[in-house]
Amino acid sequence: MAQNSPRANHDVVIIGGGHNGLVTAFYLARAGHKPLVLERRPQPGGAAVTEEFHPGFRCSILSHSAGPLRPQIISDMQLEKHGLKMLATETSLAALSPDGRALIFYDEVNKSAKEIAGFSSKDAPRFVDFQQALARISSPIADLMAVTPPNIDEPSKGDVWEMLKTGRALRGLGKKDLYRLLRWGPMAVADLVSEFFETELLRAAVAARGIFGTFLGPWSAGSSLALLLRAAGDPHPVGTTQFAAGGMGALTQAMGSAAQQAGAEIRCGVEVIEIRVKDGVATGLILSNGEEISARAIVSNADPRRTLLGLIDPIHLAPNFVAKLQHYRMPGTLAKINLALSVLPTFPALSAERKHALAGRIHIGPDIDYLEHAFDDSKYGNFSSHPVLEVVIPSLTDPQLAPSGRHVMSIYVQYAPYKLKNGDWESQRTHLCDTVIKTLAEYAPDLPKSILHHQIITPKDLEDTYGLTGGHIFHGELALDQFFTMRPLLGWARYRTPIKNLFLCGSGTHPGTGLTGASGANAAREILKDLRGK
Amino acid sequence: MPNSKYDVIVIGGGHNGLVNAAYLARAGKKVLVLERRYVLGGAAVTEELYPGFKFSVFSYVVSLLRPEIIRDLDLPRHGLEILPLDGTFTPMPSGDYLWRVNDHGKTHREIARHSKTDAEAYDEFGKAMQAMCRFVKPILSMVPPDPSTLNPRALMKLLFLGKRFRGLDIEDQYNQVQLMTMSAVDFLDQWFETDVLKATMSASGIIGTFLGVRSPGTAYVLLHHYMGEIDGAFRSWGFARGGTGAISNAIADAAREAGAEIRTEAGIASIIVKNGSAKGVVLANGDEIYANVVSSSVDPRLTFINFIEKGNLPDEFLDEISRYKFRGSSGKVNLALDALPDFKSLPGVGPHLRGAISISPSVEYMERAYDDAKYGNFSRRPYIDMVIPTLTDTSIAPPGKHIMSCFVQYAPYKLRPGTNWDDQKEAFGDNVINTIAEHAPNIKDIILFKQVLTPLDLERDFGLSEGNIFQGELSLEQLFFLRPVPGYAQFRTPIKNLYMCGSATHPGGGIMGAPGRLAALEILKDYSGSA
Repeated sequence: MAQNSPRANHDVVIIGGGHNGLVTAFYLARAGHKPLVLERRPQPGGAAVTEEFHPGFRCSILSHSAGPLRPQIISDMQLEKHGLKMLATETSLAALSPDGRALIFYDEVNKSAKEIAGFSSKDAPRFVDFQQALARISSPIADLMAVTPPNIDEPSKGDVWEMLKTGRALRGLGKKDLYRLLRWGPMAVADLVSEFFETELLRAAVAARGIFGTFLGPWSAGSSLALLLRAAGDPHPVGTTQFAAGGMGALTQAMGSAAQQAGAEIRCGVEVIEIRVKDGVATGLILSNGEEISARAIVSNADPRRTLLGLIDPIHLAPNFVAKLQHYRMPGTLAKINLALSVLPTFPALSAERKHALAGRIHIGPDIDYLEHAFDDSKYGNFSSHPVLEVVIPSLTDPQLAPSGRHVMSIYVQYAPYKLKNGDWESQRTHLCDTVIKTLAEYAPDLPKSILHHQIITPKDLEDTYGLTGGHIFHGELALDQFFTMRPLLGWARYRTPIKNLFLCGSGTHPGTGLTGASGANAAREILKDLRGK
Repeated sequence: MPNSKYDVIVIGGGHNGLVNAAYLARAGKKVLVLERRYVLGGAAVTEELYPGFKFSVFSYVVSLLRPEIIRDLDLPRHGLEILPLDGTFTPMPSGDYLWRVNDHGKTHREIARHSKTDAEAYDEFGKAMQAMCRFVKPILSMVPPDPSTLNPRALMKLLFLGKRFRGLDIEDQYNQVQLMTMSAVDFLDQWFETDVLKATMSASGIIGTFLGVRSPGTAYVLLHHYMGEIDGAFRSWGFARGGTGAISNAIADAAREAGAEIRTEAGIASIIVKNGSAKGVVLANGDEIYANVVSSSVDPRLTFINFIEKGNLPDEFLDEISRYKFRGSSGKVNLALDALPDFKSLPGVGPHLRGAISISPSVEYMERAYDDAKYGNFSRRPYIDMVIPTLTDTSIAPPGKHIMSCFVQYAPYKLRPGTNWDDQKEAFGDNVINTIAEHAPNIKDIILFKQVLTPLDLERDFGLSEGNIFQGELSLEQLFFLRPVPGYAQFRTPIKNLYMCGSATHPGGGIMGAPGRLAALEILKDYSGSA
């Protein structure tokens, strides 16, 4: 698909072919524009890609389970028609305890409750309450995700209308749930889960969702907001688990195909090194090969810091805007390890009739103190000596990922702070991998001897290879001060930038939580408004 | 209730209870204040713990006391005199120090010694914080609206807040949002690079909370403390002549002058509730006293769980009260000294001893102190805020002798399983002295008397549940219309004629008096309508 375009003049150019860039491209193309997507890597997909990391072993290199992609986007893009096949797993999550027990969560709430009853008869009904409350309370947030944050200084009629709609949705919650939403948002997720549950393993499994990918521990205020944001896409307390057949790359492949069919062009292996600005207006791009492309509008799927501080001569931006963007917080805390395995490892906690739970996600981080201790290490610039792990073995559900009888294991590791106090990631990467394998071996003793190959992706790799500044998978912390009208910056939450004709469409814009595609869809709507206005 | 002897009974003679009583008495109500202890003031008391030495036992500096209260109650006439507290001195283990004073030029030069850019940023920061204080201050004097009602007046209030916010320029809006949501250190990181400066400034963001300087939400507490104001000057702190108890005494005096009756050693056993309405109280000695209104300045746990018989409150409300977070995190060590401490980093007796002395040498030090507390231990190396009020107020100790007041954090109320505060108290006190000795080695030789207060002591002696000095954490989910619990932020309770007027209500703790005043105004509103 990467052919040099003979045209130098373009209608709209999109920098970066991550999932949001592809969603934006699709909607722009569907409206009759001819967007050109420029992707630096050999294939589009950003952080949702499948690669062969060892001969015969393929895996979702980063994002490893399908996040809550907005249903509207799936149907608009007709992703199934473009080859996307989702594979549901029977269990969503298995939380393992060092005492050899496991708590298995199912998609169906009553099945989970039954399992929880084995730990605490009090917690079982409370889990049902919690799941229902989460669904109700997160639903106005889900509505908000599809909305462009209002212009707070001069709200337009449309903004006022949207705010009224949101206000009505909030009132629809009723007094109790409205107050819950207001109270939960700024809370520490550890407090929230202990208001509901007494079982540590259950508390930790739910809390882990509030801290995933953030520089927060379960005791950090605001970690409940991260949980609510994730619940807005999927109200299951620990999240459901779905794989794309062929790995996450299949999802973005389908998106790319949908965008192309709608009229978008995708060029891979081309790196944008500068956005040309003249008199405060973005006019075109310069590629690393020296090629120049002029465009009517430029949309960046890259994160806000990379876009505005990395690709633009600072002379075009007000100094205090630059200063604020420099303080936009993107401290990455995740690393990823992918393993090629000769055999399926044995988890004694998930053996015999409980073996089916290996197909879902496996959570390592048995109690709140464990999670918090793991966070403590990262505060002082060390990776966790006992990390929090989210493990999947996608080859159980999707055998085509590995040779027959063999498996791939994909592990998210937290906390691995981008900035290390001692040494750099190049010198620490093997040490990190050893720590992870050692931690996991406590739950699956035969794992180490089944490893054929490992791939280690540190936060530095996330930045260098995947263009995620600071190694932050969400393009910036999901915190109260970087949320909604403040994402990425107060006054600049409407997908526009101080440079005319330059837009943002990545996760660094509202709502920016994982693989929802909402940022891309919202951005496309705003861009179309401006393009029509011309 | 024609048989009632009193219009209003105020439970608790702390500063808020007294302010509440004074405003009600001035409005012509017949008010009775009941204080459990022999002395008035709650946590704002002066006691002679050692012959000749008058200690501000817990609360030791003042700045947040609302100017309208000082004016309305004419407190200076009742003996209130505030003496300025100048500067903050932070000794560092490296042998260096940071010493900020009220003199702008001096502080500028001092900070420039650490970082030139920080010295410039310090001025900018001060200006920005003043703008924020101007924005937030009216909210302190406002009864929080209920966002869940459709009542047009409540909605107008919310709209008013929105309008005021939009009235700020974009820079200030930006700062305001960050202050409400960020951690103190993240906020300060945007301005400063000097570690010791950030550590010392961030300390005011954690006082009285079970949060670390890197915990989101602490920037607000920083602002809360920044709002200190004496005679209209922002960011000034002081001592009350005669100790903190002198403030309580002045307020009590004003209340009495207005006609309030105040009884000490009159702890209550319960609140009398009949048909969903408060009728009076039963004292610990069994006496019953009736009133039309009961106003409680003690915290919600004492008020609703200890003093009210089960069955009088809806379960849902009790659930909310049981979720309300106290989690005391601080202790206090009071010392009577034979001489002045001598700091290694700035030896000798000098003006640096006249202000606050802060043991907060680095952000990591502060954060590690918090880590200890998270897992149920007192900080091995705590944050300590010390003052030597005898250098400013010679009336409280014999000539040549001194008092040193040390506020210590973290001392978590809940210690890890297997340990308790009665066993840990001595070790805690010794640990504080050892920490001070690292900076001022002569401290151990000059101690004449030592009082150690743990969070458990604060609970038992001062009636502060879980030893929380603010009657409940100042965390975002417990502020404004969520304080103390959702739906009951307007000083009223599910029980008719029972009100709350303590620090557990908006706008919270510190010697501010605002809850007591606002509650009095709300009581008077209802009273004129019904009685």
